[in-house]
Amino acid sequence: MPDNFLKRRDIGKLIASVRDAGGRFVAPALAARQAVYKDISSAEELDDDYILPRNSYKELVFPQTEVIADFTIGKDGVGLKGRDVTGRDTVVFGARPCEAASLESLRSVFTWGFIDEFCTKREDRLVVITIACTKADGACFCTTVDLSPKSVTGSDVALSETDAGDYLVHSVSEKGKAFIAKHSDVFKAKPSADAVVKPIIMPERIKGVDLEKIKKFLSDTAHYENPVWPELTRKCIGCGACTYVCPTCHCFDITDEATAYGGKTPFEGERRKNWDACQFDNFTLHASGHNPRDTQFKRWRNRFMCKFNYYPKKFSSKGCVGCGRCIRVCPVRLDITEVMEAISKRP
Amino acid sequence: MNNIYLPQLVTIEDIYEEAPDVRSFRLVFKDKFLRDSFEFKTGQFGLYSAFGLGESTFCIASSPTRKGYIQCTFRRSGRVTGGLYDLSIGDTMGFRGPYGNCFPMDEWKGKDLVFIAGGIGLPPVRSVIWNVLDRREDFGKVTIVYGAKTVADLVYKNELEHWEARNDVRLVQTVDPGGETPGWKGKIGFVPAILEETATSAENAIAVMCGPPIMIKYVLNALGKLGFADEDVYTTLENKMKCGVGKCGRCNVGDIYICKEGPVYTAVEVKRMYNDF
Ligand SMILES: Cc1cc2nc3c(=O)[nH]c(=O)nc-3n(C[C@H](O)[C@H](O)[C@H](O)COP(=O)(O)OP(=O)(O)OC[C@H]3O[C@@H](n4cnc5c(N)ncnc54)[C@H](O)[C@@H]3O)c2cc1C
Ligand code: SF4
Ligand code: SF4
Ligand code: FES
Repeated sequence: MPDNFLKRRDIGKLIASVRDAGGRFVAPALAARQAVYKDISSAEELDDDYILPRNSYKELVFPQTEVIADFTIGKDGVGLKGRDVTGRDTVVFGARPCEAASLESLRSVFTWGFIDEFCTKREDRLVVITIACTKADGACFCTTVDLSPKSVTGSDVALSETDAGDYLVHSVSEKGKAFIAKHSDVFKAKPSADAVVKPIIMPERIKGVDLEKIKKFLSDTAHYENPVWPELTRKCIGCGACTYVCPTCHCFDITDEATAYGGKTPFEGERRKNWDACQFDNFTLHASGHNPRDTQFKRWRNRFMCKFNYYPKKFSSKGCVGCGRCIRVCPVRLDITEVMEAISKRP
Repeated sequence: MNNIYLPQLVTIEDIYEEAPDVRSFRLVFKDKFLRDSFEFKTGQFGLYSAFGLGESTFCIASSPTRKGYIQCTFRRSGRVTGGLYDLSIGDTMGFRGPYGNCFPMDEWKGKDLVFIAGGIGLPPVRSVIWNVLDRREDFGKVTIVYGAKTVADLVYKNELEHWEARNDVRLVQTVDPGGETPGWKGKIGFVPAILEETATSAENAIAVMCGPPIMIKYVLNALGKLGFADEDVYTTLENKMKCGVGKCGRCNVGDIYICKEGPVYTAVEVKRMYNDF
């Protein structure tokens, strides 16, 4: 039983009240001719036709780049000040269930021992409203990694679309309940009697993929020498695109950007945390010139290991949610599910 | 907000020339409270900032038995280390840490210790050595085998002289063939071979080593020949690091994050790791 009902025509009101209170409303909308998650200010901007936005909404908690500290170097010494993040109430509307499941993976890394509050403070104020998928494309494979368009993991409010374009509303988390209560003027108590839910699509499970077998294969250190790696991943050109669109990829770099450096001239600058990618050859390059992942297949193997070994084993969370973004974006058509299948076939 | 990436400001109190392109800094926290309260354990490391250029990872090369300051020793090898190298006494830089695990020194009480280091691998071992020498009566025999490419590349020359002069330490120094000078009194040869020559007893002994990956590999063999069991052999691993706190995703050897779970490991653990060095 749904808890509430949301009329399509009331979304504009919801956007306005979130924004009027100082919050951000993020939803799939067109940019550069494709659906992406972005800030919107009116319901007209919503894209009606999207399957899955091109970017991951991880950037709401883990931005592509952000300043973590500012410094000034002058005649009277060094001034250093860390940045604070308080977070801003943010609603992501129309997220997909696969992606919602990825937030707890990111959180597991960013709270492992040391807590990265840049990430957690934002996530604390993020409300995720998912819409069950009525469409999928050939790259979607959530069901193969034990998720589905019906999953609500990581979702705060789960919607299902009706034939009329309205939504049945299920509150999933306490955060979601509070959000619905706060916006009770748009979340109507009862669905209209004639509301018919659109059929939810179920991407077919890829038969050749056996997650247990993959797990076993990866946990044996001997697999590093297996020729399957160079064979399957040789074509990767190391562009890193797959990592930037992936909702669970968390790697970053820390760099300084300053107005000048050296000599006696005073200067100022900022220290930034920027997305980085394990697919780049200088990612692990030592100053000595030694590089533990000196060829592309080793870097690709690391990415696969991260998804199907490090995340599940170290952080008890999903490394891959089957969103298919890395497949859609790859310029050389390296399909992660083909690697999953090939490994599942190993004795 | 607790900003885990925010360094502390430290003043360079002294600079020592160790070898060509290698310097040590003696660092003191600007913040008085931290200066008095800062604690770390032998084997831990930190991230050192040259503002405007970035951060570099070095071990804390001083011993926790020496209070009030920390020391780092680094080789000029890139952007950040180049910037740090240009700093002078009295200048300010950044430090965050201490990070990582440590050598379980309390478990080694009463045992003989053999230290094996190559080149710039001596700094992390130095922290252990001074920790041991500052409470010498807790431990048995101390042997140090240290080698570098050339005589000039040996770091901590003053301290090597001091250790040489002590009668409760056996120091064996070596340089690679061709790296010797006319007056060189030490050995000539690679560290693993020289280590074997010392015929150090593995009985009730612990070995601690640090050096380039290739040296580690051969030293492990040599220690095996001397009869050392893998669980009695310790090393500290290095990898490219940026965050130091298990987030940025680049220091891992397979499923092991060196910054968070290391950098100190026994040979048993090293041999169990994925071949990702
Ligand atoms: C736990 C730990 C402890 C350490 N302790 C010490 C220590 O006590 N003392 C010490 O000296 N070092 C130590 N290191 C190593 C030290 O962190 C690096 O040597 C140092 O950070 C690199 O210097 P940099 O930042 O100036 O280099 P960067 O400016 O980062 O330059 C190095 C980068 O330059 C490029 N580069 C360098 N050489 C080449 C090449 N041959 N070909 C192509 N590109 C290249 C690469 O991008 C490389 O990553 C330690 C490392 C770790 C992880
Ligand atoms: S690995 Fe690919 S399919 Fe899996 S979560 Fe990342 S982008 Fe999506
Ligand atoms: S998108 Fe494709 S080519 Fe680019 S790094 Fe990823 S797998 Fe390699
Ligand atoms: S240095 Fe960032 S994860 Fe280890």
